[in-house]
Amino acid sequence: MVRIITQYGQLLLRAMGQTVLLALCGLFFACILGILFGILGVMKNRVCRAIDRVFVDVIRGVPLIVLAYFVYFGVPYAMKNILGIPFTLSALQAGTICLALNCGAYMAEIIRAGIQSVDKGQMEAARSLGMPWWRSMYRVVMPQAIRTMIPSIINQFIITLKDTSILSVIGFPELVNTAKNVVANTFLSFQTWGVVAVMYLIIIELLTVASRMLERRLNVGRE
Amino acid sequence: MAENRKIKIHVSHLKKNFKKLEVLKDISTDVYEGEVVVVIGPSGSGKSTFLRCLNHLEEVTAGEIVIDGMNLTDKKTDINKVRENIGMVFQHFNLFPHMNVMRNLTLAPVDLKKAGKDEAAARARKMLVKVGMEDKADAYPNQLSGGQKQRVAIARALCMEPDIMLFDEPTSALDPEMVGEVLQVMKQLAADGMTMVIVTHEMGFAREVADRVLFMDGGYIVEEGTPQEVLQHPKEPRTIDFLNKVL
Repeated sequence: MVRIITQYGQLLLRAMGQTVLLALCGLFFACILGILFGILGVMKNRVCRAIDRVFVDVIRGVPLIVLAYFVYFGVPYAMKNILGIPFTLSALQAGTICLALNCGAYMAEIIRAGIQSVDKGQMEAARSLGMPWWRSMYRVVMPQAIRTMIPSIINQFIITLKDTSILSVIGFPELVNTAKNVVANTFLSFQTWGVVAVMYLIIIELLTVASRMLERRLNVGRE
Repeated sequence: MAENRKIKIHVSHLKKNFKKLEVLKDISTDVYEGEVVVVIGPSGSGKSTFLRCLNHLEEVTAGEIVIDGMNLTDKKTDINKVRENIGMVFQHFNLFPHMNVMRNLTLAPVDLKKAGKDEAAARARKMLVKVGMEDKADAYPNQLSGGQKQRVAIARALCMEPDIMLFDEPTSALDPEMVGEVLQVMKQLAADGMTMVIVTHEMGFAREVADRVLFMDGGYIVEEGTPQEVLQHPKEPRTIDFLNKVL
């Protein structure tokens, strides 16, 4: 255990940084996709709702590991051999795309359900005062929806953070990928994986504490 | 009702279907400036739907609604502009729970740039005095009783300075001892000359305040006239039957 920490501690810490970097990139775009498709899912227009449904169903129906292979190997291959355009993605770019799509689909569902959990009368009251749909959504419905969405969103963040480990298959030097190399060099698998598990635990615990604080702050005006 | 008075709401041959269900079959009526119209009828008669059509919360299937010369059924009409002049009060209040009373009242006027922040706050305070809620400006909706919530909801609608007010069963969700305080505020509004369309089960209120009573059943206006005519001396069998049940 001591040897792993003294000799490979820095390497693993750097890998942890890469994990966090990948998760942050993925989550950032996932939030954008989630909000976009979540709102499409509650619009009156049928085409908008259909676009949301197709996106969510397709992405949810494909395992992340398949998506990763497809984006990292499949897409550049198709671009080069079929369209004749040389095209490569770095592991970070491909990883970000995969996480953004995967997490984005689940976020879209959380956001759609959150908006639909707000009493319809709220939107009607805002509209009856002359506020346009978008303003009503932004000022009245969303602030209430976000409160019910926060626990699910944090849960999804945690899942996505852990899902970064799946992207070790496309060679991104995050924690799991790095730990595999450490084990290959030292054969100390109990110690290495133990340290890695604790590292994940620490990041996720920090995220959980932050989310509790956020939840408390958002609870103004509620019983 | 004198015919030379200005027509505020003109409804002709209004139809409204929900999927295959015909809720409103053929509604035509005019509401004049300053008139108080009370709509009564059994549940499922379409009276709430009728009211909600008047500010386009429900899309109409056929027919025409003209508010102050603006045709609601015309796609080119800016519906939000029309709604600024029509206040609506809901059965379940629909106050914004994440905002205090003051923010509830100033949100729309400030957001729609109808008033600056200070001007909107001053008007909000005036309206709170009007409904007797001036000491609750900083309270959140969940700290208020039902009657207080509804009075705040009325004040919120008034802050947009509408010249028509719609009431959708404003006292139906209230405990009996709180009905009076809300009706009192509505009575005052009527006395101030506000044009009002009210869906209610409060027959006493209808008798006292209404200029005209509409009795709706099965998607039609079955009978209309002064409270005297409709409530005291109804002619249609369906009206008589309904009044026998509720009075």
